[in-house]
Amino acid sequence: MISHYLIVSAALFSIGAFGVLARRNLLIILMSVEIMLNGVNVALLAFARLYGNTHGQIFVLMVMGVAAAEVSVGLAILISVFRNRKTVDTGDLKSLQG
Amino acid sequence: MPTIEPVFATAALVTLGAGALVVSLRNPVHAAISMLVAFLGLAVIYLKLGAPFLAAMHVLVYTGAILVLFLFVIMLLNLKPHELGVEYPLKTRLGLAVLCGGLFALIALPLLQDHRELPRQAPAAFGTVESVGTALFNEYALAFELISVLIMVAVFAGVLLAKRKL
Repeated sequence: MISHYLIVSAALFSIGAFGVLARRNLLIILMSVEIMLNGVNVALLAFARLYGNTHGQIFVLMVMGVAAAEVSVGLAILISVFRNRKTVDTGDLKSLQG
Repeated sequence: MPTIEPVFATAALVTLGAGALVVSLRNPVHAAISMLVAFLGLAVIYLKLGAPFLAAMHVLVYTGAILVLFLFVIMLLNLKPHELGVEYPLKTRLGLAVLCGGLFALIALPLLQDHRELPRQAPAAFGTVESVGTALFNEYALAFELISVLIMVAVFAGVLLAKRKL
């Protein structure tokens, strides 16, 4: 059943969305974004399998490439934030707050 | 009620449980280790979907590169317990949990009407290195090149941002 895979995908995406919204530790927020991207990958691969089409797998590879780029930039920003502000709590980063 | 394959059910439960631990554990090292478990469960799901090449790439890229990068940064920052920050009050988090549960229900409830079965056998060339490589280097050659440029830019950005003084 394809819906089993899609439900797992939706659950992973929702778990990741919860992590992004409800946590204030920047490291955990980045990890949650990874979980969300993985949820999308499961859905892409399930549809590729349903239609017997290899091209869906290319999309998964592209998402993996984007995730790798995203995490390297995100962690670099995290390091420079921690160096300047001595915190990884998003609640303390409000210098742009009006 | 259709039966669920035991291998898939186990992998899915492990993945979702580990994913829930990632977003709920306070210590980033524990969260990273849970993420490792979640990624390995996902690799099993990819194998069940008949994509061994993607499962291998997933383990290589996610556990081999991304997770190691996370652990590297966690060790580099060397956060003390009081530097982990304050989480939102329990009430806010429960509200957000309900919100995300609603998001899940919104996606999952229509799926319950979807009774399409996956083909019992994937096409012979479905998940092999050959078929994925052929598609990647013919139809998607431009996307492949653009991804390589993107990763190159990300490497430069990472060096530039994380360097103390240029």
